[in-house]
Amino acid sequence: MKIWSTEHIFSYPWETVIKAAMRKYPNPMNPSVVGVDVLDRNLDTHGRLHSHRLLSTEWGLPAVVRAILGTNRTITYVKEHSIVDPEKKKMELCSTNITLTNLISVDERLVYRPHPENPEVTVLTQEAIITVKGVSLSSYLEGLMALTMTANARKGWDAIEWIIQNSERENVPLCDLC
Amino acid sequence: MDSVGEGCTELKREYDQCFIRWFSEEFLKGDRSADPCSELFRKYHTCVQKAIQEKDIPVEGVKFMGPNREKADS
Repeated sequence: MKIWSTEHIFSYPWETVIKAAMRKYPNPMNPSVVGVDVLDRNLDTHGRLHSHRLLSTEWGLPAVVRAILGTNRTITYVKEHSIVDPEKKKMELCSTNITLTNLISVDERLVYRPHPENPEVTVLTQEAIITVKGVSLSSYLEGLMALTMTANARKGWDAIEWIIQNSERENVPLCDLC
Repeated sequence: MDSVGEGCTELKREYDQCFIRWFSEEFLKGDRSADPCSELFRKYHTCVQKAIQEKDIPVEGVKFMGPNREKADS
């Protein structure tokens, strides 16, 4: 098991970042996310919005990990649950892979909050637990996955920035552009 | 962004547009009323559930915290 975490600051207010995060895909930085579906969505009694989504991805495993694990499956499905609390200004997102679970699990958690001292910027904290199962090289593979997570996290930040800049400029919902 | 069901992408697009408008212009601004997209969601949801069953994607295997939407069609 390997625990990975990072933090990133966006130079935009929370609402701007959240709007971009909700329509993050598609974007040029994450071409490997090939499908996103909303499975369920509801408001709870505290006024928080819950979304359950299914992500179809082609980047779930680096090629070398696929080779070592002996799988040639290209699409990995990820299930994601996000909660947006507009009063507390907090968005929390948990995701886990639902296929290849006998080989690997990647559980990720992201939290977007306004910076406590500067409401004009937003802090994203991101952590993941990576577990490769039943392989003698598992700690090596987990380390490799953590490196991939770091690269993907950077792409994710760039994607949010890209969404913000493009939607601000065009002033239309991103989905109209695709 | 495409749906996992090839035939559901247009329904998804219509729902997404409705949702993001409500999310940006009402929900984030403190309006507590429910989104007006339930009919679009129902059509899209029916389509995508069929695709998920056909592709045998194990979406039910994972349980997250939180209440479930009351589905009018189930």
